[in-house]
Amino acid sequence: MIDQFGRKLAYLFTSRRSTDAALESEFEFHLACRADELEAGGFSPADALAQARREFGPALRVREDASAEWQFAFVERMFRDLRHSLRSLRRDPVFTVTAVLSLALGIGANTAVFTLLDQLVLRLLPVHDPERLVMIWTTGPHLGNNQGTRTASYPMYQDFQRRAPAFESLFCNFSTSAALTDQSGTERVSAQLVSGNYFQALGVTAAAGRLFRPELDDRYYKGHPVIVLSHAYWVRRFAADPRVIGRKVLVNNYPMEIVGVSAAGFAGVDPSRSPHIRVPIQMKPILSPDYDGLADRRHQWVQVYARLKPGFTEESARTSLQPLLHQVLEQELQEKELRTISPYDRARFLARRPQVEIAATGFSMLRRQYSTALTVLMGMAALILLIACSNVASLLIARSVARRKELAVRLAIGAGRGALVRQMLIECSLLAISGAALGILLAFTSTRALLAMLPDSGYQLMLRPAPDARILLFSCVVALATVLLSGLAPALAATRLHVWDAIKLATGSAGSARARKTLVALQVCLSFLLLAGAGLFTRTLVNLRAHPTGLNDLDRLVAFEVDPAKNGYSITRIHSFCDKLQVALASTPGVTSAAYSMVPLLRDEWDTIMSVEGHRARDGEAMQAYHNCISPGFFDALGVPRLLGRDFTVNDRFDNPDPNLEPTLAIVNRAFAEHYFGRTSPIGRHLGFGVGPETKLSVEIIGMVENSIYGGPRSGIRRQVFLAMQQANYAWSATFYVRAQGDPAALYPSIRRRVARLDPTLPVFKLGTLSEYLDETLSTERLIAWLSVVFGLLATVLAALGLYGVLSFIVARRTREIGLRMALGAPRKAVVWMVLREVVILVGWGLAAGLPVAYALSRLVRTQLFDVQPNDALSLAGAAALLIAVAVLAAWAPARRASAVDPTTALRCE
Amino acid sequence: MSSTTPDLLPGTLQLLILRTVLSGPMHGYAIAKRIREASSGALVVEEGSLYPALNRMLVKGWISAKWGVSDNNRKARFYEITRAGRRQLAKEEGDFHDMVAAIQLVLSQT
Repeated sequence: MIDQFGRKLAYLFTSRRSTDAALESEFEFHLACRADELEAGGFSPADALAQARREFGPALRVREDASAEWQFAFVERMFRDLRHSLRSLRRDPVFTVTAVLSLALGIGANTAVFTLLDQLVLRLLPVHDPERLVMIWTTGPHLGNNQGTRTASYPMYQDFQRRAPAFESLFCNFSTSAALTDQSGTERVSAQLVSGNYFQALGVTAAAGRLFRPELDDRYYKGHPVIVLSHAYWVRRFAADPRVIGRKVLVNNYPMEIVGVSAAGFAGVDPSRSPHIRVPIQMKPILSPDYDGLADRRHQWVQVYARLKPGFTEESARTSLQPLLHQVLEQELQEKELRTISPYDRARFLARRPQVEIAATGFSMLRRQYSTALTVLMGMAALILLIACSNVASLLIARSVARRKELAVRLAIGAGRGALVRQMLIECSLLAISGAALGILLAFTSTRALLAMLPDSGYQLMLRPAPDARILLFSCVVALATVLLSGLAPALAATRLHVWDAIKLATGSAGSARARKTLVALQVCLSFLLLAGAGLFTRTLVNLRAHPTGLNDLDRLVAFEVDPAKNGYSITRIHSFCDKLQVALASTPGVTSAAYSMVPLLRDEWDTIMSVEGHRARDGEAMQAYHNCISPGFFDALGVPRLLGRDFTVNDRFDNPDPNLEPTLAIVNRAFAEHYFGRTSPIGRHLGFGVGPETKLSVEIIGMVENSIYGGPRSGIRRQVFLAMQQANYAWSATFYVRAQGDPAALYPSIRRRVARLDPTLPVFKLGTLSEYLDETLSTERLIAWLSVVFGLLATVLAALGLYGVLSFIVARRTREIGLRMALGAPRKAVVWMVLREVVILVGWGLAAGLPVAYALSRLVRTQLFDVQPNDALSLAGAAALLIAVAVLAAWAPARRASAVDPTTALRCE
Repeated sequence: MSSTTPDLLPGTLQLLILRTVLSGPMHGYAIAKRIREASSGALVVEEGSLYPALNRMLVKGWISAKWGVSDNNRKARFYEITRAGRRQLAKEEGDFHDMVAAIQLVLSQT
């Protein structure tokens, strides 16, 4: 057996030609011998040879039969079928290209979207035993300030760590940024403060050096000047040099030692983004020079995680945490800030609840931001795959109907049915495989393109652009199954037909026409869904983008951030630096005006509870005022009209820099003034920080300005209280705004030069126009809008192709009938209408099915919309109109062909 | 010619060829001729069956082939039985006798 295989292989690769030649000469010898014999029997030499040849029979076939013994019959047959299939696909390029492209688009779109969805939402963290990892936070009024989502105060975290029964290895982290300086300069990096047991609790190993340990790195306040690099940062900045372990660097101008590198691929609890460096949490005062807060119970900033002890569930852990939380809250109420609060606030404060949630997939803001969007997109991609498959199915049905005649003829001249089916199978596989191959290619590029649409967060993006193998396999299998089912079933049916019936029926049966019409109506319905979605999301994006900001010309408003506090500046030095930079920027050629603020517009919000003169807060009334500390000239630079009173000036500065002084001056916006003072002027009225009878109304309102945007278009106009930057007595990072006369990008180099002239070690970051800032806040919406438009148009093109195909098919099938009608006097218009009627019916069915589904589905995406109702008439009508227009266009050529039928030829053709 | 030839039982062509080349190396034409003569002209092996069969047996390793010079001084391909071929011949001969006996047994039951 094995010898035989070897001899065949040897033949296949080496001796094919020589074997054929040997057979040839062997036959020559045979003929010569026979001729000799015949000559001896009295034939003339020429006759003898001719007779010998006649007796021998067809030499070519004998040779083929003989050499066939040497071949792998299956392989040879397959190659022959393959050649045949390729030829037959090439003969019909429109069909081939449409089918392959449909499949590729379906596979590519699905894979790209699912790859992101999986990495962002579904995948477990690459840590030890992720299923027992939980996130712990509390809900209810906190009566303090929050930094980040689901945060706790550090003392609360310590209470949980010491006393919560349900958990082991409670750990916490806090994400921030830092200035890292070594010989090669200063760079802004993303940093994470972590508790000493962070790496142990997650079960992460070191790629080099050592990681933090609780007994070494979590003992003394400010006592652990050590950092651990993330693997990606180690590779990027230090070229994976193991000698960096033990090296001293400056973090926020404070000497720290690199002690280790965390494992490759480990991002942290947020799987989508990784910080560049990690620092022990006791170093908080160095990392956040503006505010320490380690001991402050009214400052929530750490995210707390733990491992569930065996035997505990999410639910039982939550229940067991409730009494402990209540105890802690009772204690907190005894502290100075909370002693005087109203009974109402007290009751609500004590009613706070603990939350425990399995964090096996981690906790990611990127996920919270994009998971709905990705789910919506996943739905759309699935629809595309469905449309693509129905398109291919309909194409294949048409093709096999059209080929019945060919099949029948081949059957009639003796082709085996098995051979025909085999060839069809190969043809379908060829289609599916090329579709899948192109789809894989598309998946790679489109996954990359999707990632490129995510905004730059300053963190290292940990999402990999490699398509997910499982979904790729899934889409390919779906595509393959579609092709085989819709391609083979009709082929099998065709070969079962009686030969003569098949030849007669070559123009197609009613059943396959009905199947194709159903498929086309389905495509119309699905396209309608996608187009309606595209309409809703595009309108949302346009509404958000066009939402009045209250600012003048965002395209020419350049913004950037500097954070001198992270370079070790004192408060006085920060003030003088910013003042100098403002003057320097304002005098730069091409700059109209310059100003700065503490909270960056469109990127952050800061609010506190305030008391207002003459206004008694009701229980539960929202008394938040949204703040920003601003420099003089802020409103003029941004183009916000000043309505009443005056702007801040440099003279508003306190005479002596006492850190206990609180701001005394405020400017409010119109929304704030109208809410509290109605039509009377707010100028000269007073405000106070906090609520309650002991609040001092020590802040005087000196001006009022027009409303303007703050957090972003979705959060709308806030009641704002602006404070004077001059009166800010703590370290802050500053966002500068520069009004450009001409091209804003042309100013970037001179802006960097101005900053460098004052301090070359100070990184300038997030340099861009406010228009770009706005776009960044809309990145989710843009992603959805763009992709839904692309998907919608794709679907429409596919549906149009399907419609065109089915109509051409119908017209061809009814040529005789059309000819007859025309011979009997039907006008051409009536014939055109006969075809168009089919279109109207098909599109009508599609839309009738699509409308209620669209209505139901659009409710699910309500939260993604802005200023648009889910059943927005314009979007639905627009989608329907576009589909009808495309349908008529697709029907045009077949209708004309029908009306151009010549009755005599049509009737004669059969 | 073929009309006078009885159909060979399936597989018997190989048996005949093996038996024929047992006497020594022989070329294709001689094999066909020897079978015809040995059967007094009753069995005619057509070229269309002979050469594919020879090649099939080459692939199976029952015979080997070598180029040589024929009696009439022509270049010819000589086939020689191999050890595997001898084993196969013994087996097929046995099988054939068994079958013939069985068929005769059936025929004698009238």
